Amino acid sequence: MNANPTLGVADDDVDETTFVARGVATAVAPDTGLTDAQTDLLEAITHAVAGVSIDFRALEPVGPQEFAEVLRSRRLDDRQRIVHQMVLGELMLRPIPVVVAHRVAMYAEALGVNDDFVRVARRYAQGAFGLAWLDLQHKGFLDHVREASGQRPSHPFDPAQVDPDLAARWTAFADLPVGTLGRGVWELYIGRGFGIPGTEGGAPVYLAQHDFVHVLADYGTNLKGELEVFGLISRADPDPKGFAWLATLIGLFETGYISSAGFFDRDVRERHVRAPGMQLRLADAIRRGKVVCDCYGADLFEVDYHALADRPVEEVRTLLRMPPKSSGAIEEGSVGAFDLEGMSEAQRRIAAQRHGDAT
Amino acid sequence: MNRNFSQIITVTCANPAPMLELVAEWDLNQATSDLMGYMGTRVLADREKFGRYLVIVDFGVVDPNVPAADEAARNNARPETRAFALRMRETLDADPEYHHYDEIYRTDR
Repeated sequence: MNANPTLGVADDDVDETTFVARGVATAVAPDTGLTDAQTDLLEAITHAVAGVSIDFRALEPVGPQEFAEVLRSRRLDDRQRIVHQMVLGELMLRPIPVVVAHRVAMYAEALGVNDDFVRVARRYAQGAFGLAWLDLQHKGFLDHVREASGQRPSHPFDPAQVDPDLAARWTAFADLPVGTLGRGVWELYIGRGFGIPGTEGGAPVYLAQHDFVHVLADYGTNLKGELEVFGLISRADPDPKGFAWLATLIGLFETGYISSAGFFDRDVRERHVRAPGMQLRLADAIRRGKVVCDCYGADLFEVDYHALADRPVEEVRTLLRMPPKSSGAIEEGSVGAFDLEGMSEAQRRIAAQRHGDAT
Repeated sequence: MNRNFSQIITVTCANPAPMLELVAEWDLNQATSDLMGYMGTRVLADREKFGRYLVIVDFGVVDPNVPAADEAARNNARPETRAFALRMRETLDADPEYHHYDEIYRTDR
């Protein structure tokens, strides 16, 4: 393994990161060894977040008890995020072998982490997809929305209710100066033919929050861009429960385990996380999310973007402590929110049609 | 090989709505509680005999060392399962018939 000298990683950190990687690799490896998709993603995340290059296939195994003993002094949140890394590693497998899901549960138990997503992955492995989806919704999203709003939540993927006041607030973004957050989100919606929240068929209010992050983080709106956005949002959330977003998106776009989440429909024609360069892009999104978590410390779904809508995008990025993309992620194809390459085929058709109408 | 186990229950009732409500409630409780072998339920209405239904309850392996049938037996012994069976009986017109099967073939496996 190699420390990244540009990040100033100390030897102790390298040792600890390597030890964590040993546990993750041991927990998620099928009988035939780690798959390419697993190693590529886990290595990219470790490099992006910890600044350490590790060959996951060359690591010495470590059992759950020894693993937990060494990490005993770590905070519960840290241990939970390690478990989430294991779950992410599991979700790269289809099907997830029962023995892998069971092993990850043993590591989680040894670490003293009682995590809903370990259970969700075990249900996937079992073949109980309907139960897994119910579990994911209720322990992942709905609890989260409930905690955020203090109210009985509507499903975050349900279509928005018609609300003329809300629609008027969104429509007013069109009058803001170019370069402001609100104007950017307006252009994102109009350019792709997205339904304005509050209008018939419009985006769900809660979920529409993530569209501000598309503009702020400068990620496209095709499926690869969505994975980047939700990778960032998931890790930016100080509550590890935010991992539900990434777990669901990977379920939707990668594994095909979840058939539909209403607003998004699954598309497993292409393996998005397994696409060339995508592991690095997702890892970089997670890195950016970690910086937001450490320096800003609020769930990006709970930010009042309407109050910030008239401010320049760059100013809001600074407020949220959102770092720029890495050059590596850009080189691997992480395009901006307004690049044609960042749109789905359907979105490109609408964009081309609007461009034709305008000329 | 992880062999699933199914409990098939034949029931009769004039109005299936209360039974279906109970099953949905059970599913939600199972989804958000500790992992057992329970995978899910299908309820099929008999097209030839009005008021007769098949309730197919599937169990799968969650621990490589415990067969699905044993998971089902553990589930059956739980107080909440007993209580559920009593509530279910109240929605039916007669005692249900139980049959138990090991899965030996499935198209998608």
